[in-house]
Amino acid sequence: EAAKYEKKVLVLDFVKPTPLGNSWGLGGTCVNVGCIPKKLMHQAALLGQALQDARKFGWQFTEEVNHNWMTMTESVQNYIGSLNWGYRVALREKSVTYENAYGEFVGPHTVKTTNKRGVEKLYTAERFLIATGERPRYLGIPGDKEYCISSDDLFSLPYCPGKTLVVGASYVALECAGFLAGLGLDVTVMVRSILLRGFDQDIANKIGEYMKEHGVKFIREFVPIKVEQIEEGTPGILKVTAKSAKGDEIIEGEYHTVLLAIGRDSCTRNIGLDKVGVKINEKTGKIPVNDEEQTNVPYIYAVGDILQDKLELTPVAIQAGRLLVRRLYAGATNKCDYVNVPTTVFTPLEYGACGYSEEAAMEKFGEENIEVYHSHFWPLEWTVPSRDNNKCYAKIICNIQDNERVIGFHVLGPNAGEVTQGFAAAMKCGMTKEQLDNTIGIHPVCAEV
Amino acid sequence: MGWEEKQVRGYSEFVRTAQSCHGRPIFALFCGDKDAEGKSWCPDCVTAEPVVRKELHNMPDGSVFIYCLVGDRAYWKDPNNEFRKNLKLTGVPTLLKYGTPQKLVEEECFKAELVRMLFTED
Repeated sequence: EAAKYEKKVLVLDFVKPTPLGNSWGLGGTCVNVGCIPKKLMHQAALLGQALQDARKFGWQFTEEVNHNWMTMTESVQNYIGSLNWGYRVALREKSVTYENAYGEFVGPHTVKTTNKRGVEKLYTAERFLIATGERPRYLGIPGDKEYCISSDDLFSLPYCPGKTLVVGASYVALECAGFLAGLGLDVTVMVRSILLRGFDQDIANKIGEYMKEHGVKFIREFVPIKVEQIEEGTPGILKVTAKSAKGDEIIEGEYHTVLLAIGRDSCTRNIGLDKVGVKINEKTGKIPVNDEEQTNVPYIYAVGDILQDKLELTPVAIQAGRLLVRRLYAGATNKCDYVNVPTTVFTPLEYGACGYSEEAAMEKFGEENIEVYHSHFWPLEWTVPSRDNNKCYAKIICNIQDNERVIGFHVLGPNAGEVTQGFAAAMKCGMTKEQLDNTIGIHPVCAEV
Repeated sequence: MGWEEKQVRGYSEFVRTAQSCHGRPIFALFCGDKDAEGKSWCPDCVTAEPVVRKELHNMPDGSVFIYCLVGDRAYWKDPNNEFRKNLKLTGVPTLLKYGTPQKLVEEECFKAELVRMLFTED
């Protein structure tokens, strides 16, 4: 965007390899080890389910259909490679200089870059934008870095993970556990306390129930304390020892792969922010910014997952970045609107949401001032193959004091992301319950509910 | 050691040649056939070829540059021709690094900077 306004731009992108040596190309987390490969693998799992349903719709095939991890992974990585290349071409066409080098501040208006061969260069600039994102957190227990993998490794794993233990109950943990189980693998999820912290808990529990009923095992209220290797191999066999979060009980289990998804930490500690005086939250590593994405140092800005108290979503970071540049160089005044940003969790039963969760709405407006409308629904496509008839669910949360304005939208069912997008636009326009009721539904689709 | 060029015509010859160079970096430029005077029916190919040739020295040592004529205009326009079906080519000229998703299509091949980037990219 900045190059559009004839600014001279330098982009520094460098991936510190994972403990197991994995690295990737230009594009950041979403493209390489996040949203893109995740959605593709989720789709692979959905297609597996569709094959099961197909017979009920009349398709005849007698062979057992199996999944090949390598075929899927190669296709996914190939696609990602084309995206990496596309970004290289796009940057070059707009005359943006790109360096595959690690950047750190060494003094006012000055960064030092170090490439993978250790060659250093110095650059100065008028303004800087930090968008270094996050990396997966490790447990800090014996054997974690040597034997466990994270989402950074999963999407390019050169062998099928086999029987997997997923540690964590974040959306990353549940989405991964979900598609691994959907591909036919034996999956267990080890949860310290609740599922999907920060999301509507009523829905979080429904998601957990659905996954349990569809073969994912859950070990609740335990944390791993040790990971040992029993057998080498790709995959080998790992022994995990875990302790109860509530007492002294110890359990053990054997798995081919242990996937850690317990959170992500900002990459703000080793980039020299102290040398230029940028304040960060010492505890979390996040950078506080004003509503124009500016740090406490006027010529340094930040966007994306590293921001304090802002949503960690790719489209939010992109929008914030674009608007920032337009404000700086094109005289625009729009600021990034962080309210009513829709999201979707791609668990086996997808969950789309926009606005307040039920708990957050009750806390902010008071239980007596909100009204919740909800309904279970049975997608037409699920009737013939006799799939669950009481799992899909939709609810909206309305503010009684404000004309019953819809302040929370939640849908649990197939294609939740597609369904949610349109309702998010309506919520941005201030849709009320009455307007929603007056909108005639499309039939037969899930969204009409 | 430098690099070497191989000139081929048609899909089967291309595949045979690429397979025989397995293990070495392979770059391929696909152009429309040339007439008796050496001029291609594809005007973009005529523009791109000299640009690409000027950057060939940037290819890594041991590379193979395959210059491939795809066929006449009618063959190329057929949506089921082997280049479209098997190599997923969408236009000529196309310059690609064989076995990777890295490629430049049509006007992208006119830009020396992009061609250089393709040849030197890690």
